[in-house]
Amino acid sequence: MEKRLIKKDALAGIAKKMAGDFLVWAPVKKEDNILFEPLQKDGEPYFAYLNSKNAPKNVFFPHTEAMMKFTRTEKGMVFSSEENKADQSVLFGVRPCDAHSFVLLDKLFDQEKYKDGYYIAKRQNTTVISLACVQPPYATCFCTSVDGEPVSSEGADILLVDIGSDYLVEFITPKGENLAKYFGETKADAAAETKKNEIAAKAKEAITSKIPAHEVKPILDKNFDNPFWNTIHGKCLACGTCTYLCPTCHCFDISDEVKGSDGVRIRSWDSCMFPMFTKETSGHNPRVSQKERWRQRTMHKFKYYVDNFSAIACVGCGRCVMYCPVNIDIRKVVEDISKL
Amino acid sequence: MQNPYIPYPVVVDKIITEVDTKDIKTFRFKFINPEDEEKYKYIPGQFGELSIYGKGESPIGIASSPTQKGYVEFTVQKAGVVTSALHEMEEGTLMGLRGPMGNSWPLEFLEGKNIVIVGGGFAFTTLRSLINYMIFGDNRKRFGNITVIYGARNPGLLLYKDELIEWQKRDDLNINVTVDKGDANWKGKEGFVPAVCKEVAPSKENAVAVICGPPVMIRFTLPVFFDLGFSKENIITSLEMRMKCGIGKCGRCNVGSKYVCKDGPVFSLAELDKLTPEY
Repeated sequence: MEKRLIKKDALAGIAKKMAGDFLVWAPVKKEDNILFEPLQKDGEPYFAYLNSKNAPKNVFFPHTEAMMKFTRTEKGMVFSSEENKADQSVLFGVRPCDAHSFVLLDKLFDQEKYKDGYYIAKRQNTTVISLACVQPPYATCFCTSVDGEPVSSEGADILLVDIGSDYLVEFITPKGENLAKYFGETKADAAAETKKNEIAAKAKEAITSKIPAHEVKPILDKNFDNPFWNTIHGKCLACGTCTYLCPTCHCFDISDEVKGSDGVRIRSWDSCMFPMFTKETSGHNPRVSQKERWRQRTMHKFKYYVDNFSAIACVGCGRCVMYCPVNIDIRKVVEDISKL
Repeated sequence: MQNPYIPYPVVVDKIITEVDTKDIKTFRFKFINPEDEEKYKYIPGQFGELSIYGKGESPIGIASSPTQKGYVEFTVQKAGVVTSALHEMEEGTLMGLRGPMGNSWPLEFLEGKNIVIVGGGFAFTTLRSLINYMIFGDNRKRFGNITVIYGARNPGLLLYKDELIEWQKRDDLNINVTVDKGDANWKGKEGFVPAVCKEVAPSKENAVAVICGPPVMIRFTLPVFFDLGFSKENIITSLEMRMKCGIGKCGRCNVGSKYVCKDGPVFSLAELDKLTPEY
């Protein structure tokens, strides 16, 4: 598909122009954090970032979202309306690891038999513009171990690569091409493509943190009862930060809220790190301690997801490593498993 | 396309208090829109999410058989927020029902075989669905001998008392009802389910055992069937886990790589052996 060049200082202007036409989610600086938020009229996108604090999965799978509404009648509470809003929108400047996570989430929410309309509607109505990682990465970045690359178009409709004075703009999908008019008229030449390949190779080399993510699958298949599982969770606070920041964690709770005669059924992010997650009404809990919960989280990412969808449910963004308050490092967990 | 999270509107048509302690009731629901009944095509062993707006949802096995037309029944113990709200309901109340969900009792696998049904206490509900399905009209011919062993702690805790009497009248069913301890009026068997299984000693020849009950019953019943020579492929059971979505997305009911809500709840012991023992 077509490739173009835009001047580097034109990027913010393009995002703001789009924001006049649709909802644009872009990285925004808020105090010390970079967060993906709807770009406001006077808002300024911030593209000189390594990665956002939150994974942008909330664009398709909000932290809290209404599923339906109901209302009180004489004969009881009855369904009143289905809530499923999906505005035409653009996710602008997302990192390739996070764009990779959308492909992984699609496998779960958009299965053949059970389709999750809430996720799918937002996904279909959103164009993903990836911003390749060409700067020196975080020490916690390990995308190359989990089928990702710092310059990758996976999960993207448009890929932007900083090649020095310009961004190379690649339109990956027809959905991306629909936005071509925002990216000027300058066609990219072969030199730009060569430059991009050089930069991509260098960026890949710069990711020095590696984990044996594929290698542990056959080991996990056989080591559910290994005493190793006693060694991870000791300091875990069960805060759930790892799961909330994770681009691929998708577990949710469904609950009802009522005000007066009207109510709403909402779904909210949940976490396998919480004791209540699997606790049954009888009091029985199949995952009785933090040990079982850590085993579940690790197994889900590196074994169960592979069994079910032939893909590892980790994109190597390193957020769980960076923000764990007690420094539990999934990279070390995986490394240790590989030695079992 | 139908949104699987939106319940079908139903009305509580009939409520039957099953047990003396009054905490287990059977709720009969009718669909508000007749076409929804056609969409809610289920197989014995499947479950539904009972949806009470403002309270939440509860996954419960379907207790009626698809051969019973015009309604669908669930037998529910009062336990948590949703089931307590359900128990407070009166006939005529409107609510929601999602599903049917999960796999089912493996009817094709069961066809042509001798069937041994073993149930304990409150876990008899989807077995009742299976029995009523197998004995309905011409369906009966598709199955060999049907032996039922059903136990409860005392006579007052037996479910479906009228049906048990009707089933006992049939000559094409071998019904064994037992209680741990009888009362003054009890004329039937006394004894725990595993002991009665041993006494009835169903043959393993061309036979499948379908077993549902509290963990303690399962633990002592399985060895009896192993001693009788039943293979793990021919012992079938149903699991329960905490659930929310019921369609394999919300992520809490997995046992290893399998979701109890969509890959189960029915598994053979041979299948369970391949999963992690985390349920």
